[in-house]
Amino acid sequence: MSRFIVASVALALAAGAASPLLAQAPGHRPDAGMRSGFEPAGAGPFSDDEAARFLTQATFGPTFDDIAHLRAIGYTAWLNEQFARPVSTEIPYLDWVETQPEGSNHVTDDTRLEAWTINALGTPDPSRGLTAPGDQLRQRVAFALSEIFVVSNKNGTLAYQPWALSSWYDMLATNAFGNYRQLLKDATLHPAMGIYLTHMQNQKADPTRNIRPDENYAREVLQLFSIGLVKLDTDGTPLLTGGQPIATYNQATVRGFAALLTGWNWNNTGCGPTTYVCCDESNYATCARYGYNLPSWKLPMQPIEAFHDNTSAKQLLDYSGVALPGGVLAPGGNASVELDAALDNIFLHPNVGPFIGRRLIQRLVTSNPSPAYVQRVAAAFSNNGAGVRGDLKATVRAILLDPEARYGQWLFPSTFGKLREPLVKNLQLWRAMNASSETGRIETLNPYPPIEDWYGQGPLRSTSVFNFFQPDYGHSGEISNLGLHSPEFQILTDTTAVATNNRLFSLSFCWHSDGGSCWENGHGATLYLDTARDAPLAASNPAALLDRYNLLLMSGQMSPFMRQTLLARLNGLTGSSRGRQRVQHALYLILNSPEYSVQK
Amino acid sequence: MAMNRRRFLKHGLGAFGAAGLCGAFGNLRILAAAAGQQRFPIGDYKALVCIFLHGGNDSFNSIVPYSTSQYADYRSSRQVLIANGGVAFDQATIEANALSPLAAGGGLPGGLPSDGGSYGTHPALAELRGLFNSGRAAVIANVGTLLHPTTQAQYQAGTIALPPQLFSHSDQSIYWQTSRPDDANANGWGGRIADRLHAFNTGPLPMCVTLSGNNLFQRGDMVSSYAISPEGVEKMSYLGEGPESWVIPPNEDGVAAYQALLAANTQEHAFERAFADVTRNTVANYEIVDAALSAAPPLTTTFPDSSLGGQLRMAARLIQVRAALGMSRQVFFVSAGAYDTHNNQVDDQQWNLSQLSQALKAFYDATVELSVAQSVTAFTASDFGRSLGVNVDGTDHGWGGHHFVVGGAVRGKRFYGTMPSLRDNANPDDTGYGQIIPTTAVDQYAATLAAWLGVSNSEIADIFPSLANFNSADLGFLA
Repeated sequence: MSRFIVASVALALAAGAASPLLAQAPGHRPDAGMRSGFEPAGAGPFSDDEAARFLTQATFGPTFDDIAHLRAIGYTAWLNEQFARPVSTEIPYLDWVETQPEGSNHVTDDTRLEAWTINALGTPDPSRGLTAPGDQLRQRVAFALSEIFVVSNKNGTLAYQPWALSSWYDMLATNAFGNYRQLLKDATLHPAMGIYLTHMQNQKADPTRNIRPDENYAREVLQLFSIGLVKLDTDGTPLLTGGQPIATYNQATVRGFAALLTGWNWNNTGCGPTTYVCCDESNYATCARYGYNLPSWKLPMQPIEAFHDNTSAKQLLDYSGVALPGGVLAPGGNASVELDAALDNIFLHPNVGPFIGRRLIQRLVTSNPSPAYVQRVAAAFSNNGAGVRGDLKATVRAILLDPEARYGQWLFPSTFGKLREPLVKNLQLWRAMNASSETGRIETLNPYPPIEDWYGQGPLRSTSVFNFFQPDYGHSGEISNLGLHSPEFQILTDTTAVATNNRLFSLSFCWHSDGGSCWENGHGATLYLDTARDAPLAASNPAALLDRYNLLLMSGQMSPFMRQTLLARLNGLTGSSRGRQRVQHALYLILNSPEYSVQK
Repeated sequence: MAMNRRRFLKHGLGAFGAAGLCGAFGNLRILAAAAGQQRFPIGDYKALVCIFLHGGNDSFNSIVPYSTSQYADYRSSRQVLIANGGVAFDQATIEANALSPLAAGGGLPGGLPSDGGSYGTHPALAELRGLFNSGRAAVIANVGTLLHPTTQAQYQAGTIALPPQLFSHSDQSIYWQTSRPDDANANGWGGRIADRLHAFNTGPLPMCVTLSGNNLFQRGDMVSSYAISPEGVEKMSYLGEGPESWVIPPNEDGVAAYQALLAANTQEHAFERAFADVTRNTVANYEIVDAALSAAPPLTTTFPDSSLGGQLRMAARLIQVRAALGMSRQVFFVSAGAYDTHNNQVDDQQWNLSQLSQALKAFYDATVELSVAQSVTAFTASDFGRSLGVNVDGTDHGWGGHHFVVGGAVRGKRFYGTMPSLRDNANPDDTGYGQIIPTTAVDQYAATLAAWLGVSNSEIADIFPSLANFNSADLGFLA
């Protein structure tokens, strides 16, 4: 912990020395918190600010209740509580909507976003008797996983199968605190993935027709979902030979996995003469399940052995300590047996921990984790303390309780953290402002045009399997010159910079406790901010209002300069509606400020 | 509102503009001006338009042989006809969509297909075929990522350096856009061109404009790209002229507070500075673009109501207002997705290529309307070509593929480069697994475009360091 003390002292010096020519001007750096630095990272939180900061990483944003609760029980107990909470799923909501009266019972991909919003916000769910989902950490991790294991509605088939995509998301949420090995298997066999990366109805080679196994999923499962392209050290940095990175696999490996992943087709549960066609050898490549909400969209794919390649030896991953000799799987296994062998072959590759660990750190905490941070998280992935590899609970705990997660803003004050995703900004606003709708349904994430056109992202709406942004994207200029990564900057374009700003404008100014409307009229499924909660305080004491939002939105990291600037603006609003107006302007200006936009 | 706007322009643009002058962008322009450099005559204009087909277009089903021998080779790979659930065209369909190339002449590159065969197009490419047959478009054969000229023997023996991660979407898209398969961290060749030419524009907008979001192709060391939506400019509501500005009363104090938060170089965190820079530049840019577009008459050319049509329409609109924007050289980026046709290729490619063909034709017509047909060259790019082998009703990732260049400066109605054999067995042009080894490097394709745009030979050598490994730095398809 001595390192932390040094960093704090250095920061204090830097803060004091930042503006020698403007000694009286308020600083642009947040005031340093006072801490002894002797507590372990997992102790605490020791202040509301620390609690809010942790909740910003671990949830879709802090609320007063959550801050108080976390302070009362501490990080470790809070994590255990969250790990134990039942999973909130989307499918029941879609089913419930379908039972609603004619006119409001149409289930589309926008309905899926209603369910997503309810679970992400933790707002009362009308499909469950207005029970509020309580699994905030799980929902936040599921969203992170959805940006690593990507399927998307930007697909001619999945666009019209909301149950398939909700089932996929539910699978991610269910596995978020399970084991990565199971997640990998469930992802591989999910029909949404089978359609998205086209390994459903993949068939063994047929030389007479020059048919070869589809390599699509084989390639991406290795490149994106598990190990990546180059061999990694335990700290996530590339291993080098002769100064060059070492490929983790080659084309022969891709062919091996492609041949292995043959024979999988729709789940036949419920098929029959009176329902829909059963898939068998006679119709392997043509049996279709494009009907509305068929059970096979929610059930794992099943093998049809006649189309599985059980005759060729398959080159799988070859690495130090690999169980299969030379990484080669001998022929003869059926589709399920060979799939398990292949998933084990991937799962035990030494890259998985640092590869997945770094991606999850980037989604939750910081774009540029130090190698030591990645290494600590990878170690937890590799062994949860009870000898189990792939435990995602242990991985998430290691990510959030790492000293760098807790103190990184002081260790690396100019570079730590990440650009907030627009969607997460939006959710944080609603959570901070206790937003609710009249009917419990929520359609405010479904504006026209669709939300991804405003934000550059939407849940399960990536334009490709490479997600909205890529882990190694570095914004041109200072960031890339420093050799830093900044994935979320990839969706900050001249277009989204304005559209996101304008959406946050609408959310701040259009729908509030006093009513209000914009181009989009408010209605029963519109989320309204609870501006009335804060308006009296804002009217009488705008400085106290800013303290409140500094805590909820910025974990107490608002600089003196920013606070002074906002206070001057709020004091200028003096009419009879000044309470609400001050709330709205404060929210808008914070949400669009550079300081807030970087989660530190 | 008008008061508000003037105030914002006065204060805002002053502040925003200063950022431009302080950045590398402004410095270079000042340097160029100080040195009295003026490479291009006043009023001279040229633009490149990159049309990126995400996913890897099956170009072997876009340009298809119908002459007997070549068609037999094609059918040895693509065995099952479309009518029978496969992806293969019948011979008559291709012949009915024939290209009619000119023979080579005058000692210049380009002419009939190098294998002596006769070729037609996918029927969905009707408009593009018309552009080819009327001399406005050319086919560049079998282009792909390469570090050196590469033979099958070298490939199979592993005796030559290859672009890393062949057949991978993300990597091959990167190498197409950077033309630097030797450097995974390289920026884009469009951006590197702009690094060298942007100083010759007089306006403040970046030389690179994207209609399709951030992309690597246009990322340079010094120059970033300007992103605009196909619908044009949207302004920020809080600043007084956005779509919902009417919701709040006049807000000068709010605007001032917002500007103070965004002021250049006042943030303590690198990401905060970058976020502020993007936001300020966005506002400055949209004011300029909006003013220029508002002052220009609408185009009479009709564009198809498609994503690509909308993107190319806005590109044409920006070309229309090039003088107001102070542009003499520009690089545009547009893109279309869904070319990764592992399955359902017949329907998907029909849709994709008809969108491409119709949009390209409209774009060419617009450049004629604007009297800049000679000054604008559009070219296709894609992750890779696709495999000769099939995934039942689709195709897999490949390597080399055919591409189109379109424009008045194109020496059209010609094939350039070497047509590969499409034979299934004992094919000397493939990797041994149905992926065609490119015979023209992306570097050569790109360098030809760059030279036409006005990049000097020494600059081209800097931009494309592997170019010297190939026998020709200019493929001769542009005049």
